[in-house]
Amino acid sequence: MSPADALTQPALWPLSLIVFLPALVAALLALPIIPKAREEAIRWVALATTVVVFVLSLWMAWPTLFGAVGPAQFTVGEAGMQGVVKKPWIPAFNIDYLLGVDGISMPLVVLTTFLSVLACAASWPITKHVKAYHVLFLLLETGMLGVFVSLDFFLFYVFWEVMLLPMYFLIGIWGGPRREYAAIKFFLYTLFGSVLMLLAILMLYFTSDLRMLSPEQLVASHVVSPSLDAAARADGVAAIAAAKNPVHTFNLLALAQLGQLPKSPFAAVSVWGMSLEVWAFLLLLIGFVIKVPVVPVHTWLPDAHVEAPTPISMILAGVLLKLGGYGILRICYPICPGAGLSLAWLVCGLGVVSMVYGAFAALAQKDFKRMVAYSSVSHMGYVMLGLGVWSAVAGNEFRWDAWAQGVNGAMFQMLAHGISSAGMFFMVGVLYDRVHHRNLEEFGGIFNRMPVYSGLAVAVFFAGLGLPGLCGFIGEVLVTLSSWNYSRTLAVISAFTVILTAAYILWAIQRVYLGAEYKGPHGDHLTPMTGRELAIATPLVFLAILFGVAPQLIFNYVTPSVNRQVETLADWTRDVGAKAAQPIAGGPAAADVTSR
Amino acid sequence: MDLASQLPQLLGLAWLLPLASFVLILFFGPRMGPHGRNAAWVATAAIVTSLVLSLVAFVSWLGVHPAVAAHHGGDHGAAHAAEEAGDHAGSHGDAAAHGEQHGEQHGGHAEQPPVAYSGDWYTLYEAGRLKLSIGWYIDSLTILMFVVVTFIATCIHVYASGYMHDELHEVTDHEVHLADGSHLHRPGRFPRFFQALSLFCFSMMGILIAGNLAMVFIFWELVGICSWFLIGFYYERKSASNAANKAFIVNRVGDFGMLIGLMALWGALGTLHFADAQVPGADGQVVSKPGLFSLVRPAEAGHALRVPDGMVKFAAAEKVAATAPGEVAGKVDVWRAEGFGNWLLFIAGVGIFCGCVGKSAQFPLFVWLPDAMEGPTPVSALVHSATMVAAGVYLVGRFFPVLTPDVLLVIAYTGAITLFIAATIALVANDIKRVLAYSTVSQLGYMMLALGVGGWVAGLFHLVTHAFFKSLLFLCSGSVIHACHTNDMRKMGGLAKVMPYTAGTMLVGCLAIIGAGIPFVIGLSGYYSKDSILAQALSFSQANPRHAILYWAVAGGAFLTAFYMFRLWFMTFSGTPRDHHVAEHAHESPQVMVMPLLVLAVLAVVAGWTLPGGFGIANLLEQSRPAGTAQTAQGGFAFGQTLTLPAEHLSHEGAIHVTATVTAFATALGGVLLAATMYLWRVISPAAIATIFRPVYTFLANRWYFDELYRAMFVRPAHGLAAVASGIDQGLIDPFINGLAWVTRQVAGIDAWIDRTLVDGLVNATASATWAAGLELKKLQTGSLRQYVMFIAAGTVALFVLASMLFRSSLAG
Repeated sequence: MSPADALTQPALWPLSLIVFLPALVAALLALPIIPKAREEAIRWVALATTVVVFVLSLWMAWPTLFGAVGPAQFTVGEAGMQGVVKKPWIPAFNIDYLLGVDGISMPLVVLTTFLSVLACAASWPITKHVKAYHVLFLLLETGMLGVFVSLDFFLFYVFWEVMLLPMYFLIGIWGGPRREYAAIKFFLYTLFGSVLMLLAILMLYFTSDLRMLSPEQLVASHVVSPSLDAAARADGVAAIAAAKNPVHTFNLLALAQLGQLPKSPFAAVSVWGMSLEVWAFLLLLIGFVIKVPVVPVHTWLPDAHVEAPTPISMILAGVLLKLGGYGILRICYPICPGAGLSLAWLVCGLGVVSMVYGAFAALAQKDFKRMVAYSSVSHMGYVMLGLGVWSAVAGNEFRWDAWAQGVNGAMFQMLAHGISSAGMFFMVGVLYDRVHHRNLEEFGGIFNRMPVYSGLAVAVFFAGLGLPGLCGFIGEVLVTLSSWNYSRTLAVISAFTVILTAAYILWAIQRVYLGAEYKGPHGDHLTPMTGRELAIATPLVFLAILFGVAPQLIFNYVTPSVNRQVETLADWTRDVGAKAAQPIAGGPAAADVTSR
Repeated sequence: MDLASQLPQLLGLAWLLPLASFVLILFFGPRMGPHGRNAAWVATAAIVTSLVLSLVAFVSWLGVHPAVAAHHGGDHGAAHAAEEAGDHAGSHGDAAAHGEQHGEQHGGHAEQPPVAYSGDWYTLYEAGRLKLSIGWYIDSLTILMFVVVTFIATCIHVYASGYMHDELHEVTDHEVHLADGSHLHRPGRFPRFFQALSLFCFSMMGILIAGNLAMVFIFWELVGICSWFLIGFYYERKSASNAANKAFIVNRVGDFGMLIGLMALWGALGTLHFADAQVPGADGQVVSKPGLFSLVRPAEAGHALRVPDGMVKFAAAEKVAATAPGEVAGKVDVWRAEGFGNWLLFIAGVGIFCGCVGKSAQFPLFVWLPDAMEGPTPVSALVHSATMVAAGVYLVGRFFPVLTPDVLLVIAYTGAITLFIAATIALVANDIKRVLAYSTVSQLGYMMLALGVGGWVAGLFHLVTHAFFKSLLFLCSGSVIHACHTNDMRKMGGLAKVMPYTAGTMLVGCLAIIGAGIPFVIGLSGYYSKDSILAQALSFSQANPRHAILYWAVAGGAFLTAFYMFRLWFMTFSGTPRDHHVAEHAHESPQVMVMPLLVLAVLAVVAGWTLPGGFGIANLLEQSRPAGTAQTAQGGFAFGQTLTLPAEHLSHEGAIHVTATVTAFATALGGVLLAATMYLWRVISPAAIATIFRPVYTFLANRWYFDELYRAMFVRPAHGLAAVASGIDQGLIDPFINGLAWVTRQVAGIDAWIDRTLVDGLVNATASATWAAGLELKKLQTGSLRQYVMFIAAGTVALFVLASMLFRSSLAG
């Protein structure tokens, strides 16, 4: 790759700007330009930054809203990567600064920027080390956005780690009484996953060989920029073909192309009795499911949520959990389809166990916020199940649409949960700010004391309950319906969860909002919502209704990209996977899958 | 305008108006006049307009498809085929008159499918061949139900504007005791009541108009949540919020089954649409995508029920996998004959029925309905007797073509058990609304049983007549409660004198529900619908002698119904007042409440009549009879026996009809006479009977101990499991994690010791050299958080820059 192709790149913005603007402002804030004491000014600067980033991301994602369709904007309905930015970063290891978005990541980017605005606004009650808080908060935003738009695995990993550290401090310094325990638990869990992920990244990197790809594939995966002129492209392709040694890559799109080759280099190598593909899939999966989180690696979540301040809980539930699901969808399945096929039972099983276990655990909680945290475990289980329902197999005539429905449902569920869980945590926070406790047994009668707040809160909780007309319903029903084709048992268990969900949410609503009078301390502090709180809650409720009534607003983005990936993998299954499907690791289960 | 485009517009508008009313009241309710008084007008105006639109649709329908005496295996579908096919073929892409499609090919002996218009308004999700949408399916049943629901809802809106007037002022809730012993004072919630009522009407009509099962499910849940709001209207009362939660959660148990049914259909067939849809094909052609009805009862099989290809292939997946793709289609018939897919269709049917069991309060999920009486009485009348709880019956009727004889048998027995249990509990209940609630459960059991024994028209006919007389009965009870401020019938008595209109109209309601009439001449609405149920049950019993008990359940139930209804009436209105305090304050209700009673009473009398021209509800329903169900059919595999479903018209003929009518009359009369002996003439003392049959009485008075049983069987175990799950987290996983951390620290400690003793010896030598440097570095460690954070921020940014420069210069070169 010649340095010249850097010049022919499309503009580095808006993606780079969206990702790095928060970090830039954070760095500026860290300098003593604004004195530490001017807390209000710092808050406004941070809020303004998140708003600008949100508007930028919206400008990119929704061109028609702004009237002009520029080349840098996102074309809705197109499946492929858009707005790709490519710069050689560490050429010695073929590491690129490679960013891009498609229908899967674009909505998640907007969700992140949107929730960052709300969370930043929800940070007003924070009075301790205001400057440091906002610097870390903005860094966190950069980290999250970076993960969603990175197409280079190394870059992805760097962002993944960049996100981890601010989160650690945000919980550990601004959290509740047991904040240090919660923060270190969160940190160690995630770090453990990161280490495994790093291992998998290196495994894949050193096994990859770009020479196996056709010129078309090299161009399609942006190894050779498609924006170059024909001659330059030919040069780039020729340079790779002429290499004497394997040309390794961190390029996620190229790795996916390699993984889906009939003779995948990853499936060819065997380590300790399992193919490298399966090892990589498992290591990555562990790294990602810790983030999701699934049972049994979920116990960091309730502690982190209970201790974290409200805005950080919103970000944690609204965005961070989605990184896990996104990673599985973007990385695990396309790069390791063979392992994905044989381990689909694991992914689905983990999902269903989380759904039921999380729901039961939520039913038992006495702490309002802990209950909401467990509801997240349960709801993210749907995401896992939807991602995993690999039903495009022989018994089903290699139909891709049932699986696509599951994945689309999972994507929708991630976005819907981003809205509803952030809303639920915020609603809990509103009460906590007033009465400084979260004991479910010591509420009651809030409806009569704070009617507007309670109305909005009940709407948000109903979205979590999966009520039709609100955003929680679509994802859940799509995932549940799609699971039948994969496994009847799992489908029945997942359908069973609807009873538990209704039970724990309605019971919580009854104990907190209904009833004649408030039973806890500080009853006289139950004042109506402030304008700032309304400004945070109303958009969440509005979106919960909007996406519940018009899910196409999201599906217009998501479906083309998801369908293309699923269709490709279904074809792969027909052509490669079903023939090669040999029992690996979980022998009987693998056979179980193919027999459907 | 032709019907195909007119009906969806009319009914669609009728459906959406209450939603608009809901939104208006939600945002502006409290500002609508003093204390939101005008919210009642907004809601009533919306529902009245819906009623008018429904009536217009009704008249338009009759203009094209006059309801006359039924042709069994009728031919009216074909009659209008030519006329309308031309109209809508080109103009509306996805609007299609389902009935006309097979119009001419299968004249002659094959049954015609009923006339129905269907299409999609709106897509929720679409990928590949899978599509979830919001659409319509309109036939005479839909229109009839629209008229019934909007009509009763109108009556109840008017009635409620009087009944709920307490909510216009500060309310003192005497049932709520605060911690300091006083009663709760709260502002009135008049607008909120009408807001919820409007949302309910919207949701209910959504079920009625739904063009596919997914949409049914959506509105199914929405009526559930409306019911939650309305039952929990007095949410300060613990009993009310408990009842609301119970209703929703028990319904979710049914929905769990319904979801399984949906999955079974969706997974194998890839569609939930009732009717065929017109979809764009590969080359721009419009092709017909078969819906559930024609998949299960294909026209080429003469609309006889058979397992659809998709289900056969799904069940025989292993065989499909082992067969070359080209040969699969040819082998489907073989696999079908081998029985593949039978269970799947059975599960689908029973699954959908499970949802209906929850919503229509059938055994074993009926426990929520009596508790639902915690809501205001107009709600009980509209939601919990006339409409929402009837949705289950409606769905069974709508989904009828897909139900196999085995599923129908399950439905029939569920109905029989329900009607019996509920009737026995109603015998001893003393709360006037609870008697009516159990009566509702019992009557819903009747309808289910009727559908289960193949009485499609009978069951839905009873649904319509019941809606009128049961809402009447509830409104009458509301009028009584309004006057007496108590629900307890033991404190009433002799009210006929002070409340003549209420007493009179309630008598009409009681007569209607027991099916009173002059045999073979004329009767109240219940007379016709109940007779046809009894006749069909008898017809079924004769065809399947081992299920004769179903007939006896119906006949016995008729006796019990007559007894407990007249027990209620006598206890409330006849004799002398039992509690003078109550009687002194009793008064007839205001006009705004009495008017709806009179209107509904008239309908409770005439709703069953067939006018001289042949116009009547039964004939109207007959127009929508599912294809292939007019003839006697046989089938069944699940219970090891072949079931015969006798054609419904057989029950109108000869001996069966006479026997049924006589039985109905005799049992009803017997029940009334017994009630009169005990509660009017007081010849037999009820207390004495209760003493003699003490165990039975206690058992019934405790409602068969279902609540206690469920608490022990489900609620406690669920909480137990919840505690276990939570305990595993805190007692197993976290200690393990913490243990790991402890082990790591110990290892680190050993490591540190090695460092200190061995390594440090070497290092100490160099330490002094680095001491000075260390002092310098120490300055960085200021303990200032701001600085640390700045390091992290700067470090992060620098990481990218440094790493690239470093690697580039050292390695890339």
